[in-house]
Amino acid sequence: MNPQMPPKLSLPGVKQVIAVASGKGGVGKSTVAANLAMALRMSGHSVGLMDADIYGPSVPIMFGLGAVNPQTTPFPIEKFGIRLMSMGFLVSPEQAVIWRGPKVAQAVQSFLAQIDWGQLDYLIIDLPPGTGDAQLTLSQSAPLTGAVIVTTPGEVSLIDARKGVKMFGEVRVPILGIVENMSYFVDTAGNKTPIFGVGGGQKLATESGVPFLGELPIDPRVAECGDGGEPIVRKYPDSPVARAYMTLAQVVADAANRPNAGALPQVQL
Amino acid sequence: MSAELRPVSLKREGDGLKIEWSDGVVTTVAWRKLRANCPCASCLEERSKPADPFRILTPQEVAAGAPAPVAMAPVGYYAYQIKWNDGHDTGIYPLELLRKLGEGTDV
Repeated sequence: MNPQMPPKLSLPGVKQVIAVASGKGGVGKSTVAANLAMALRMSGHSVGLMDADIYGPSVPIMFGLGAVNPQTTPFPIEKFGIRLMSMGFLVSPEQAVIWRGPKVAQAVQSFLAQIDWGQLDYLIIDLPPGTGDAQLTLSQSAPLTGAVIVTTPGEVSLIDARKGVKMFGEVRVPILGIVENMSYFVDTAGNKTPIFGVGGGQKLATESGVPFLGELPIDPRVAECGDGGEPIVRKYPDSPVARAYMTLAQVVADAANRPNAGALPQVQL
Repeated sequence: MSAELRPVSLKREGDGLKIEWSDGVVTTVAWRKLRANCPCASCLEERSKPADPFRILTPQEVAAGAPAPVAMAPVGYYAYQIKWNDGHDTGIYPLELLRKLGEGTDV
């Protein structure tokens, strides 16, 4: 398949397609995507989560799943009421996916087009870091409602997140907003310690003219839940992080449901 | 170019493409000009070289004659891809480029 010829994909049963992105790796995109999906599910929506990180899929471990036999398993796989698809279901964790870009684009397209997502209110797409093949393929061929940009508070994260914002601007995918992850740690006395700096998410939102969706505190249980295969929103619904995710889900849902300009007109030749 | 500026309608007119934009401006760009400004990597590369005075037309170019589109489809929310009668189809024209090529043609 020629990667420059993206087939137009339509997902007729899916109401909103939301990409969770960041220029930077390690800021918690997958954690945010998994918990956002879970929070939307717990708010009563039908939700799918597609892991577009072909080289480093993390959706399986975050939902307590692993590689399956694709000959006998129908995709998407449902867990906690969320329909999931990931490269990690097809390749065992010990194996590396050593592919050039066009194959990545092809895999991303087939996840969207060949998987029967059914009727969904929200399809969350967990993107890999960067502004490369997976991002471009999605921007060109998927009916994206918008993107949520994840960053940590520090400048090192911001310089890459800014590139993510810039890319979505160039391909005119609306940015629903910026989420700041790992904003601060709250000790037992209730004091907030900003481990990775202060105010980066708000700063990026202001300079890019997009909404700031909120801060997510650091909680060791987030990592514990990610490794343990159950998102913190479900396992500790009363934790401050889980409550922040429930609020985030509401804000994202509101932003996504606002009408946008939508598809470009066809050409009369 | 403001992010809100978008085409309202696009149609073939004579030997060019007529676009009505959301700000009321109407631009017309000849197909020949669009073909000559194809933004794909190989055309950009070709244009960056000094012109070859001995360039021989490919059989497809000879057979195709004047550039004309065979198909033109939207790409995402930001561009259009044109499939040309000479078989070339890798050019994705962002809205900014379509607008820029049509500058000065508003009547």
